[in-house]
Amino acid sequence: MKRKGLSFYVRIYLKILAQDIKSKMSYRTDFIISTIGMIFTNISGFVSFWILFRNFPSINGWNYDEMLFLYGFSLVSLTPVQCFFDNNWSLRMYVYSGDFIKYCFRPINLFFYYQSEVFDIKGLGQFAFGIGTLVYAWGKIGLAVTPFMLLKMVVFLLTASFIMIALQNAAAATCFWIQNSFYLLDLTFRFKDYAKYPITIFSPVFRFIFTFVIPIAFIAYYPSLVVLRPDAVPILSWISPIIGIIFLWFSYKIWMLGAMKYSGTGS
Amino acid sequence: MSAMIEMKNVTKEFKVLNRREGLKGSLKDLFSRDYKIVRAVDDISMHIEQGEMVGYLGPNGAGKSTTIKMMTGVLEPTSGEILVGGNVPYQNRTKNAQEIGVVFGQRSQLWWALPLIESFRILKDIYQIPNEKYENMLALYRSLVDIDPLLHKPIRQMSLGQRTLSDILAAFLHDPKIVFLDEPTIGLDVSMKSKIRTLIHALNQEKKTTVILTTHDMGDVDALCQRIVIIDKGKMLYDNDMAHLKSFFGSYRTLKIRTDGAMKQQAQTIQQEFSAFSVTADEERISILVDEDQSKVIDVLAQIQKTYAIRDMQLEEISTENVIQKIYEEGVQ
Repeated sequence: MKRKGLSFYVRIYLKILAQDIKSKMSYRTDFIISTIGMIFTNISGFVSFWILFRNFPSINGWNYDEMLFLYGFSLVSLTPVQCFFDNNWSLRMYVYSGDFIKYCFRPINLFFYYQSEVFDIKGLGQFAFGIGTLVYAWGKIGLAVTPFMLLKMVVFLLTASFIMIALQNAAAATCFWIQNSFYLLDLTFRFKDYAKYPITIFSPVFRFIFTFVIPIAFIAYYPSLVVLRPDAVPILSWISPIIGIIFLWFSYKIWMLGAMKYSGTGS
Repeated sequence: MSAMIEMKNVTKEFKVLNRREGLKGSLKDLFSRDYKIVRAVDDISMHIEQGEMVGYLGPNGAGKSTTIKMMTGVLEPTSGEILVGGNVPYQNRTKNAQEIGVVFGQRSQLWWALPLIESFRILKDIYQIPNEKYENMLALYRSLVDIDPLLHKPIRQMSLGQRTLSDILAAFLHDPKIVFLDEPTIGLDVSMKSKIRTLIHALNQEKKTTVILTTHDMGDVDALCQRIVIIDKGKMLYDNDMAHLKSFFGSYRTLKIRTDGAMKQQAQTIQQEFSAFSVTADEERISILVDEDQSKVIDVLAQIQKTYAIRDMQLEEISTENVIQKIYEEGVQ
């Protein structure tokens, strides 16, 4: 048996992905409706954002274009969790019904095998929309286009997505111990809506919570400071990539710990 | 011949919270430390050779699933040793997974939306099956069952029978040393059952795969297994070959008769008459389990005929189900 490295997993993932997309497209009406739904979700999200800022030209020193940047940043950074880790939402059902056991018999990484089963294509629309918003805001604010700036963008977008993935993994994994973990998962997901605002608009208590307890401030605020306000970057922003990686690793460990102690229901 | 599965004094205990009744009880349970130990599998030893097909039987809750879970590495035994194909399953779960195949009768492990052939292709990559082996396996499948209509059908559009068939084919695809089949024929019609039995038998013969079969359907055991292991309440009741069991109970026959009038009442009077035999009845007929060492079936029949008008009669060899029931009631020794 050969060692199963990264290329092994990438190949399998792409294969499953290609098949999955193929089979989704074969249900044409379903595909069209969900595409239209996705477009409308994004538009309505943007419209509510726009209406809000028609009335407040700036919030706490953040002007419209900067807010738009933050909004786009959060959309893009939420894409990976939406696309690749959507099966976390079903974990609770699989564990409860005992069907989770079917994932335990393959000679590959359990976490990978479980997550690879679902790819949520809707995330791609969000991604395109987010990139568009970012590019527009970038131009409006008049940020420079240099390799260093772009590198910073990529690194901090990745950081932000790591944190969101970690949050969701950890919340989903609670179902291995708690019967009804949906509320926790739902809660984390609802909190992400606050990620698109600068954290300074919240009271100190929430600022603390969003930084250290449910660290959604790392999804857009802290990382985008690096690009938007290069002269006043708090230390938290600079160390956020490390926090992201550690947090992601921890959430993976928690998930696997739960999965390994899982023993199924009787049959 | 080498041992495929070696179990030595395996015990599995679960810690279960003593639950109280009612809402008040549930609230108390939240803070309770009142656990009891339940022994799901109690000191079981087994030695299974390569190529054997073993029927693993027992009533619901006997500990069958727990044993299978320990063999597949999902559960760790509380004490005792298990070796499956040379691996300790719990410690080398991934390695063990490469050597085994698992089928659950009602839980498909295939990708729900994908056609069977695509599932096969992904499995080929996951198990790193060489091209030649893969092609040979498909050729073998083609010779055994008519798979071509199945290959391009998504799993979710298949009937339960087709799905089970697909799952079995998928479990054998990487030519595992051992395949665990958990109630493979549950919920299937007679013709599909026989199709699946034929397939399992052929694969076992062809590939010398060790097969562990748990089932409630005695037809499966009769058709497939040379050896059966029976457990109940976590303890092993019986482990020997099928023929031995049959010879032990061979002198028993079930006489089924249909008479005029209410079967159940008549069954009671017949029971009084033949107190040595067990008599049961349903709406259709009265069944009498006759021990031919004591009296011949023909004598019993003659005796009954004196009192009742027999409309219809049937003579059945003892079924494995009866055998197991007798073991529960009386034991084999």
